[in-house]
Amino acid sequence: MASRVKFENSCEVGVFARLTNAYCLVPAGASEGFYRCGVLEGELAGAVPVVRTSVAGTRIVGRLCVGNKRGLLLPHTATDQEIQHLRNRLPDEVVVKCVDERLSALENCIACNDHVALTHPDLDKETEEVISDVLGVEVFRQTIAGNILVGSYCTFTNKGGLVHPQTSVEDLDELSTLLQVPMVAGTVNRGNEVVSTDMAINGPVRFAKKS
Amino acid sequence: MRLEKCWFCSSTIYPGHGIQFVRNDAKIFRFCRSKCHKNFKMKRNPRKVKWTKAYRQLHGKDMTKDTTFEFERKRNRPERYDRNLTEQTLKAIPLITKIRHDRLEKHISNRHKPGKRKEMEKDSKELDQDIGMLPKKLISNEVAAEKTKIKVKVVQQQTEDNAMEE
Repeated sequence: MASRVKFENSCEVGVFARLTNAYCLVPAGASEGFYRCGVLEGELAGAVPVVRTSVAGTRIVGRLCVGNKRGLLLPHTATDQEIQHLRNRLPDEVVVKCVDERLSALENCIACNDHVALTHPDLDKETEEVISDVLGVEVFRQTIAGNILVGSYCTFTNKGGLVHPQTSVEDLDELSTLLQVPMVAGTVNRGNEVVSTDMAINGPVRFAKKS
Repeated sequence: MRLEKCWFCSSTIYPGHGIQFVRNDAKIFRFCRSKCHKNFKMKRNPRKVKWTKAYRQLHGKDMTKDTTFEFERKRNRPERYDRNLTEQTLKAIPLITKIRHDRLEKHISNRHKPGKRKEMEKDSKELDQDIGMLPKKLISNEVAAEKTKIKVKVVQQQTEDNAMEE
């Protein structure tokens, strides 16, 4: 079930919202139309708690933090108040953890669903261990169509995924077998190849750009 | 708002003080004042600079292993907000700092003790041996007075003898 949405007149929904099966993080201060008018809280209504937060004082929560239903990873730049706020709001099953990592825009470096995660090849060993521990996933270091930012160029859930349009067919098959979900190469937002920034997805729901 | 530690001297950096330097590998260096910042720019190693905490802890001048330090360790997993817990923590913080401070003072005074004892021994030895070196006007204690008394007695006997002979 897909919905078309704009965040403050921007088509990059995936930058601002972080959507998983267990929770949804959005930044504070957007127009109420984003939250109320049947979009987020309407679609998710009660199934998933919607948490308004900032990460590291910024609104780009979608790119900075990564998570699945078991856990949430935040960059070390996130302030103590934000971490505490998230810990209070999210359900207890979700483990909130800060990651000390040079690459602090975690969502650009890590793409994950509830079972598997693809990571930036230069990610720290420690961070990889934290991911597998907190999110409970198998971690694979991969590149997508020669791009190291796997989290930006590929996005997937438990049911399926979308990758960069220039991924070769063999790569696509390899990814599908690795992740055990069907993958498709395509663009979002009328030809935008950075697929992850323009969509916020979890299992049942998908929010994509307006155009 | 978070009270950070200076990278060079390990003192706390309060809001509105100091400089932060972010290196190309995204490592953040925080300095409490320009003294520390300038030392860093000179590429000095804090472990070799005598007035820093790093030097003092490395060379055993300050206490290193203590349970009070455990309280301040950075924990990456937050706890859910609990009012009681927060209240108790806030009450405990000044107690913990006081205990840590007292233990540190004790550590330092213990470190000074053998040195002090040696100095006392040396001083008392000097007093025994070299008291005669002092001018007689300054000598006011009994030991020195006894020594001078002895001299006086000998002189009196001689004069008595002379008187007797005559």
